[in-house]
Amino acid sequence: MSSTRFRLAGATLALTLAVVAGCSTGEGVDVDGADGAAAGGVLNAAIGGEPDQLDPHKTSAYYSFQVLENVYDTLVEPDANLEMKPALATEWSTSDDQLTWTFTLRQGLKFSDGSPLTAEDVVYSYTRIIDEKLNNAYRFATVKSVTAPDPTTVVVTLSAPTPNLLANLGGFKGVAIVQKANVESGEITTKPIGSGPFALGSYTSGDNISLVRNDNYWGEQPKLDGVRFTFVSDPTVALQNLRGGEVQWTDNLPPQQVPALRDGDDPTVQSVPSSDYWYLALNQARKPYDDVNVRRAVAFALDREAITKAAKFGLATVNQTAIPQNSAFYYEYAPYRHDPNQARQLLDQAGVSGLTMDLMVTSEYPETVTAAQVIASQLEAIGVTVKIRTLDFAQWLDEQSSGKFDAFMLGWLGNIDPDEFYYAQHHSGGTFNFHKYANPAVDRLLDQARTETDQGARKQQYEQVAKQIVDDASYIYLYNPDVAQGWSRQVSGYEVRTDRAIRFRDVALAR
Amino acid sequence: MSEETEATRSGEETGGGGAGRRSDGQLRRALSALRHDPLALTGTAVLALLVVVGVAGPWLAPSGINEVNIDRMLEAPSWSHPFGTDELGRDVLSRVMVAARVSLQVGLVSVGIALVVGVTFGLFAGYYRGWLDNVLMRCMDVLFAFPVLLLAVAIVAVLGPGLLTAMIAIGVVYTPIFARVTRAGVLSVREQVFVRAAVSIGASDLRIIVRHVLPNIAAPLIVQTSLSLAFAILSEAALSFLGLGVQPPEPAWGRMLYDGRGFVTEAWWLGVFPGAAIFLTVLAFNLVGDALRDVLDPRQLTVSESRRSSG
Repeated sequence: MSSTRFRLAGATLALTLAVVAGCSTGEGVDVDGADGAAAGGVLNAAIGGEPDQLDPHKTSAYYSFQVLENVYDTLVEPDANLEMKPALATEWSTSDDQLTWTFTLRQGLKFSDGSPLTAEDVVYSYTRIIDEKLNNAYRFATVKSVTAPDPTTVVVTLSAPTPNLLANLGGFKGVAIVQKANVESGEITTKPIGSGPFALGSYTSGDNISLVRNDNYWGEQPKLDGVRFTFVSDPTVALQNLRGGEVQWTDNLPPQQVPALRDGDDPTVQSVPSSDYWYLALNQARKPYDDVNVRRAVAFALDREAITKAAKFGLATVNQTAIPQNSAFYYEYAPYRHDPNQARQLLDQAGVSGLTMDLMVTSEYPETVTAAQVIASQLEAIGVTVKIRTLDFAQWLDEQSSGKFDAFMLGWLGNIDPDEFYYAQHHSGGTFNFHKYANPAVDRLLDQARTETDQGARKQQYEQVAKQIVDDASYIYLYNPDVAQGWSRQVSGYEVRTDRAIRFRDVALAR
Repeated sequence: MSEETEATRSGEETGGGGAGRRSDGQLRRALSALRHDPLALTGTAVLALLVVVGVAGPWLAPSGINEVNIDRMLEAPSWSHPFGTDELGRDVLSRVMVAARVSLQVGLVSVGIALVVGVTFGLFAGYYRGWLDNVLMRCMDVLFAFPVLLLAVAIVAVLGPGLLTAMIAIGVVYTPIFARVTRAGVLSVREQVFVRAAVSIGASDLRIIVRHVLPNIAAPLIVQTSLSLAFAILSEAALSFLGLGVQPPEPAWGRMLYDGRGFVTEAWWLGVFPGAAIFLTVLAFNLVGDALRDVLDPRQLTVSESRRSSG
């Protein structure tokens, strides 16, 4: 299981890919829009690595979703402010008891191969995720049944009110509507068929994935003829390619250069706060970390400004809670100031001295290795010796799930609803509660807020949850990073999104 | 015994004397030759400096190696930080100095492993020949068939990254070279008259191997050791660069080079100084190794001797 919603693919693979990146030819792109009506052109985008596979229900790699965002659709989708807006469904209604949701699909929806997309396909997609217990099955935890009374109506029946159902069904393309024939033929892993603005043209393993405009798209036709994703793992190379004109877009920029790049105008580099958060977790199944004073001591010993500056070069916002400022659920609460004296006192109260802490980080996320060294030097100041253990991510995940750690640092990417921020991580029965936090009051609040339909009351409940989690130092939250992406001056109509979704449907390329 | 030594001088070098005296003379001559070789002297001086820094680095270093100071990150070289500061505001000079110990340690321990294991294998294989020779040397051939770094990476992958496993991995990788060099020497020495004489008076195999054979193959081994030290240090740097050696926050030259890679345009000093340290160390070992070979290698010696006698 991945501890991030998107798992960035293996660095080893990416390393080998770096060699082949940047030398691809235009082969395989079907440029059929030569009539000059649309601006056209193929946009070359450099992403940090190759998708592990292209089945949206099975992959958890962010690289896959960078591509699939442009290939698939969901019933509803988040707009720039992460509010759910119509996509395949134009409207929806909820029964009085909040247990039945009825969605109405657009008329005449088609997959990119021309076959019709009906309510049956929605039922098939959701049932597949639920029955096969795929990655995102947890998003359907309260779903009792999904039915299609007619080709344009989908009825979702729930076991309990689920105020965040729209976010669950449309938050990202991991819950996309797939085609049954495509799944059953097994082609979905390399040649997925969706209903989005682009369709998969060709896939050259180790080199590029080419998308072509989907003429059967329900929305406004994209201006581009296609998009070619190349895999460039080295950010310095990706930036060079962008400057040299081999690519027109990349999100793989060297973080230390982003502040300077942002000030320039060619290439255009923009960054926006993301909904990701990075944190430190202490294993409460091990002594002395079961003592709240010890955890709070660590929280007081950390200088978050310094950690953030070292790990992200200012491309992040310090936060002591999980949810970032741009969210409607943001709760301003920062009880920990950098105070080594207070930290030492707390350790004394707990009767702890000469503590050695095993801190597990992974080289696949280099910022954890960097931040760990800063954390180590800050904890040294309160007499805690930190032993940094750098593992590859697969091994890291094994150690995490078997509880073999004193502490670890990692992040969660792309969450939208507060339930996603807190439930799996901090409920005593949560699937990602590897640090064994258990507080009955928090459990009760989390269960309650999950089904609370009054938005005001729900926000209040999550504020109580956030406060308690921070006070108990269940996770010691560090920062919310920014998303930085860059594109050449030829590109217009692109917007950096806080959920890291890469959408090329409205982009035009000047030639 | 003294007659044997005389025979050595006038005749074939490797076929020389049975005990330490000949080696002593050779060593004295080697040292005097080295004193007159400017390159060797330079190399020796660099190595001496390296040893001093390696042993006393933590006390000589101007700052602590893990003194993080984010407010002073990426400062260019200055009087307070002659080598600048890194991305966490740590003093690069101090880290380069303390990392010298890692490099020396890895070099000595891994070559030590390779030397002990390789020489033992080579001695037995060369002296006993037969099936033992076949088994040992075919194993060495298998190890030898792998590219050095690939084998080291594979071993580290199995044992897990870290200083100790890096030393073991490099040690294993260089074992076959020592086994081969030793065996080749033993093959010619074991046929010499003094060995047969020792056998005839009933000396045990072990005594013959240790007292008579080993001293006579010491010269190529000394040369090989000094050259292997250079390559071992380079291998350690490569492993660290790949994240398989010393783990952060402990400094290692290869790792510093890797971390500095992302800052080439903004902070050249992150890569240049550890890179220069690797370069100088490897160069010094090579210079000394070359000079040692010049004075110790039998064929070279014979040539220079004959030149001297004819001239």
